[in-house]
Order: sequence, then C-alpha cells, then structure tokens
Amino acid sequence: MQKPTKIALRNYLKSRPGIQLTENIDMPVIVCPVEDLIALMTWLYQNDQVQANCCVDICVVDHLHYGLDEWVGVDATSTGFERARDALSKRDIHEKPGRYEVVYHLLSTSMNQRYRIKVKLDEPSDSVPSVTKIWPNANWYEREAFDLFGIRFSGHPGLRRILTDYGFVGYPMRKDFPLEGQVEMRYDAKLERCLYEPVQVQNRVSVPKVIRQDDQRHTMSEV
Amino acid sequence: MKELQLQMDAFRKSNTPVVKNGFMIVKYNQLVDWSRGNSVWPLSFGLACCGVELMHFIASRYDFDRFGFALRASPRQADVMIVAGTLCNKMAPALRACYDMMAEPKYVVSMGSCANGGGYYHYAYSVVRGCDRIVPVDLYIPGCPPNAEALMYGMIQLQNKIQGCEYMQVKIPSGYGDD
Repeated sequence: MQKPTKIALRNYLKSRPGIQLTENIDMPVIVCPVEDLIALMTWLYQNDQVQANCCVDICVVDHLHYGLDEWVGVDATSTGFERARDALSKRDIHEKPGRYEVVYHLLSTSMNQRYRIKVKLDEPSDSVPSVTKIWPNANWYEREAFDLFGIRFSGHPGLRRILTDYGFVGYPMRKDFPLEGQVEMRYDAKLERCLYEPVQVQNRVSVPKVIRQDDQRHTMSEV
Repeated sequence: MKELQLQMDAFRKSNTPVVKNGFMIVKYNQLVDWSRGNSVWPLSFGLACCGVELMHFIASRYDFDRFGFALRASPRQADVMIVAGTLCNKMAPALRACYDMMAEPKYVVSMGSCANGGGYYHYAYSVVRGCDRIVPVDLYIPGCPPNAEALMYGMIQLQNKIQGCEYMQVKIPSGYGDD
C-alpha cells in the first residue's frame, strides 16, 4: 500500500472504532460491522487516495464446522487419512455466532491496490446493505451469494436466484446442505416432461489408503 | 440378360452387393442406409469440456466433414445429438426439448463420464446422473473427456449402426424389388 493511501485509510478508521484494519500478506483486510458497511464502501470508492473503483468479487464463507476438529490428521498413515473421525464437540449449528462472513474484494486500478472487506453475520436472514449503487456489477455477485448461501442484500434491485434451477429449494453452498441435494431429475415418458423426485443415491465417504508401503515419502515420514 | 438374372438370384440369396462391368446391384434399403450413414448431421450441443474435444474432432486435424458429418445449429435439421458434457438439472428440460424437436430417425451419443452417468458430479445436487435419464441413448463414449480419436471411433460405430439396422423401410416400386 502506498503511503498516502495508508495515511488516508488510517485517518478514516480512527473516527470509526468498530472497523478493524489488518495488513495481510497479500492485501489489507478490513473487518467491518454491517452498520458501517455502506459508509466504508462509499468512502473507499470516493476517496482520492484510495479510489477503489472496481468490485472484483463478492463471496461468502460458512463457518459452520470451522474449528470443530474433525480434520485433525495431517499425515497419511497406512490406514488412510483421519478424515472420517467423529467431531470432538458438537454445538448447535444455528446458535453459532458469526456463522457467515461476506467477503468483498475491491481493486483500485489507479492506485494498483487491492482490498478485502469482511462482514460477519450471525443469522443468514440478517440483511447486508447492497453495494450495487456503488458498483453496478455487484448486482450479479449479490444474486449469486443469495442463491448459494441465502444472504439477503437490502436495497438490491432484483434479488433472485441466478444459478440454480427454477424453483430450487435450499441454499446449496451452506455446509448443512446435503451434497446429493433433496431431489433428482428424470424424464417421464407418460407425462412427457422432466420431473423431480426425491433423491435416491447415497454418498460414500471414500477413505484414501496408502497402498504402496515402499513409497519413499511414506517411509521417510515414519523415520 | 440371362447372366444378369442369375446374378440377381445369387444376390437375393446372399444379400451382398454384386459388382459387374462397372455396375453394382444392391438392395434399395441398403443404398438408403449407406447414404444416411454417410451424411450424419450432429446437433452442436457442447455443454462442458467435452465440447472442446468435440471441437477438435470438428476442426482441421481430425476434420469430421470427411465422414459426412456437418454440424447443425437447429435441432430440426439434425440427425444425431452429441451430448458433450455435464448435463445439469436446469439444462435437462432444454435438452429434452431439443431432442423432441429433432426429426426421426434420430440418434443420441452420450459423450464422456458426466453424460454417461454423472461422472465426477454423480453425487452432486445439481447434475443429472446420466443423460439417459432424460433421452434414450444409442451410444456411450467413455472418458473424461474422451479425446477426439475416441469420439471419432464412437461416431464411426454410430455410422455402422445406422448402416446396419435398415431403419427406413422404403417402399419400392413394383417390378424393382423382391416382391
């Protein structure tokens, strides 16, 4: 980050204690409360030292199983990865605070600088103010976030599904959405149309196994 | 004339073409099937990365025009639909509509793992587990994606199928056929 940009950003954040700024290895990360989002985004867009004129992406993170150490295993043993273990602690998924995180990636083409802005949400129904008034291309990003995670963006001109099928039920990128979904499609010759049925297949958890015992990397890690 | 009559009799028994003095005697249906098999017009229906291999088969190195294939953009002009790629739930009604629009006789080639049975996305929520759940399939080409040679081999098998099955029972004017 260039020095004038850094100074401008620091000065702005002094007046707003709720917003946190950290310098990550790739770009500065700003964690912002929902209430301050529009003010921050407008400032980033309009300020002469920042000029974040491009909204690169909007994505959402679901922290449902985050921190529940189900995936402790690092090394593969001869019996496979330790991935199918039971979680050590089970919490009620809907009571976890800050489960969702909406992440905005901004780019200033004139300052050659990128920014990452994070907004934490306790409930999926908590609405985030839409940034389509600032960056019009955020329209489809927000529709995608709504489609796959069910995040509501207040003030969006037409918040509807963008990727999944017409009449799709559920938000498929949430961690509690089953991988196989709820329904599957087939063509019915009598009705002469494609129809949905309850899903039949069951997913298998495949555990990779080290078959070759003479693998050099494997034996070296044992020593 | 008598010799020709003898050859016609031999042809009726053996059902193999007779070549004599620059002329060939074949059954009318065989001729029709031969010509149909050599002018197969596929519908361009590339859905995913298999579509890129389909393009390789189309383009100059493998040059599928030399087999008599010609891509059609309209299903009404197409004989065969090559389902090249992952068939999503949202696409499935459109695929069926395209299939229904094609004129008989029509064929479907399922290209690649995803179209054959869901493949990599078999357990996914949004993908049809095989395009044979939507349309009847004549030929399955395995691979992820099948390379252009595999598709070429499969399409030649489809030609063999078209030429061998005598689908069209053409009514032959009296006096010319084996009536």
